[in-house]
Amino acid sequence: MANTSGKATALTVLSPIVNQIIDGKSCADITRERCYRLPIHEKSPLAKVPNTYLARLFVLDNVYYESLTASDSIFNFSEITSIFSDSARLKALPRKDQLKSKYLVFSTNFHGDLDEYLTGMWEKWSYDDNGQQRGVQHIWEHCVAFDGVKDSSSFISYMKRCQLDATLFFNGSTDDSLQEQLKSLYLKQEFSKFAAANQGKSAADLQQAFKVFIEKVQPENLDQPSWVPGQSTP
Amino acid sequence: MTQNLDLTDIQGNIVKAYGSSGFFKARYLFLRVDDGDKGRDFVGAITSKVTSANEKLKGDDALTVTTNMAFTYAGLQALELPTASLVGFPSDFVMGMSKRKDILGDDGPSDPKYWDKIWQEKVHIWISINGKTSDVVEERYQWILQQIKATGGVTLLRGHCGEDGNGNAVDDLPYQDASVLYEKDGVTPTAKEHFGYTDGIGDPVFDGQTNNAARVIGRGKLTRSGDWVPLATGEFILGHVDEAMEYPQTAPRPDLLSNNGTYMVYRKLHENVGTFNKFLDEQSKDYPGGKELLAAKFSGRWRDNGAPLVHTPDNESKAEWDKKFAAADDATQKRMLTDFTYNEDISGAKCPFSAHTRRINPRGSLEYGVKDAFHTPGALVDRRRILRRGLPYGKVKDETSDKGNHGIIFMALNADIKRQFEFVQQQWINYANDFKQGNDKEVLLGNHSSKDPGKVVLQVEPGSGKPPHFVNNIPRLVETRGGDYFFIPSIGALKLIAGGLVDPT
Repeated sequence: MANTSGKATALTVLSPIVNQIIDGKSCADITRERCYRLPIHEKSPLAKVPNTYLARLFVLDNVYYESLTASDSIFNFSEITSIFSDSARLKALPRKDQLKSKYLVFSTNFHGDLDEYLTGMWEKWSYDDNGQQRGVQHIWEHCVAFDGVKDSSSFISYMKRCQLDATLFFNGSTDDSLQEQLKSLYLKQEFSKFAAANQGKSAADLQQAFKVFIEKVQPENLDQPSWVPGQSTP
Repeated sequence: MTQNLDLTDIQGNIVKAYGSSGFFKARYLFLRVDDGDKGRDFVGAITSKVTSANEKLKGDDALTVTTNMAFTYAGLQALELPTASLVGFPSDFVMGMSKRKDILGDDGPSDPKYWDKIWQEKVHIWISINGKTSDVVEERYQWILQQIKATGGVTLLRGHCGEDGNGNAVDDLPYQDASVLYEKDGVTPTAKEHFGYTDGIGDPVFDGQTNNAARVIGRGKLTRSGDWVPLATGEFILGHVDEAMEYPQTAPRPDLLSNNGTYMVYRKLHENVGTFNKFLDEQSKDYPGGKELLAAKFSGRWRDNGAPLVHTPDNESKAEWDKKFAAADDATQKRMLTDFTYNEDISGAKCPFSAHTRRINPRGSLEYGVKDAFHTPGALVDRRRILRRGLPYGKVKDETSDKGNHGIIFMALNADIKRQFEFVQQQWINYANDFKQGNDKEVLLGNHSSKDPGKVVLQVEPGSGKPPHFVNNIPRLVETRGGDYFFIPSIGALKLIAGGLVDPT
């Protein structure tokens, strides 16, 4: 399975959470609470990690059990025997699996190279948590063996150890860097405003207005004016 | 085989619309149940006069006045329906309309905090009186007041905004009056609403409703062969199979409670007539086709006679169409109004994607010309249809002002409020992804905000060399002033409710 599609990379990381209780709370619950407390939109730490298209963070408690799926086939052996014996029915059901521990799941789609992205996560991930600045360590703190992570290179190798192959890609994205995509969306929105505001003008007036428009929106300048990552309102 | 409906069990106005049968006046009452026992007695008393779908509405020996009844979820609780029945109602109905405001886009001036005072009350029962004259409506109203007095246990709620007998604005009326609008002569009824559009032309047709194949054209569902057939009955009446070949999932137990019933969305929609007229005047100054064509582009139909834009995209084709329309017999006229699809206009150059009619019923055009994209052309449309049964209310005294009480009592009937009415409102009126128009809202009903005024694009024929036209700074033209979700039971179910006999076991 390919973790990349064009210049986009899909990263899915499953980090086991330590099976311990601290001050009456399980480490899984502490981690879940920290996930809930992450700010969203522009203030999300992921808005600061360069080139994040879309990311998700949650605690996986266990796997779901799926019973037998409904069958339209005319002859289904287990269904026939089930009529006569419940133990035959139960034997025909799939085995029930359990996870040995709970997992912190981090799933992201981003532009570019994995090592660079993970370095960005280590260096840029920060947010305000009731007056305290938090780094990426705060979320992963109670994951198994995370105490060995001290710097960006140990963070990168930790995340890679927990990595699963993933092929799910966010469809609403082009192959460009986040900055380019945000600038394109900004330009598209501004241009539609420009077209609406200037309809019916003479060619000369239109050209004049277009010059002013280009000076304002600076198409070549990716930094600004543009949308900021995580922007939630126009 | 065609569906046979139990017309004596289904309440009136569901299968046939009162408004198109000469019932031009209506009065809507809302009551609170204060005592379960007495409340059920009251329901029983009213049920004796509840109009069924079997009653004759036209002709000499026809009814002149009708009565119908429905309940909110809180109302069914107050009437002490068994919990095992109550838990079977869908969450949208349980929550009620004001709590669904984020989905419906009832924000800004449409926020429930600005609704008529009655909607701050506990609304339990809805009773409608439709009549051919104001006198018969008043007479039936007096009869209902007598029943309230006789049984006790219910309170008629006050708090509708409107006018008292002297034409003064008041906010504590005990009922909501509605009426068709009349020509300037004050006598000839019209099918118009306060913006001047002809309303309710393209209502859906479902199986069992009519044997007249011509009436199904443009109103049923579009098949792959291009024919129109009636929609499944279960899209509109519980206890019948729907378009997914399933019984609606919204039916509470027992079957006798839900069968032949439906859900009604009641919305009082104020029309900002002054803003609309000013907006139309301003926008049409720059619009090459002129004011009436632009007004038609907002709606999908011309204001004077409802001519569909798909067949009359400009003034020349409209003049031709008008000539044919004037010469045609009644059946042909009806057909001319409904026999079209938007597949004749995939680019939206004739009827814009933002037009009201195209938004509320895209008529099998969501395949966008992709051959066999879905199993039928209307696969994405057929489960989003609603029956509209409303009437205008109030009079416009000053066409340059938004003030006063005038608008539409919008009543939509469907088997699944969330899947049908709410979807259309949220995804097709206030959003346009399905129409490939970003977040451009429908012009007339969209919840445009003054902070971020709406815009829509009027496309032109590809290759024509003409620029598309932008309609800018669209203000909020229609505001919600109240409403709720109601369950309209069958007449058999009304009797069970009245008798305390609903048995879900």
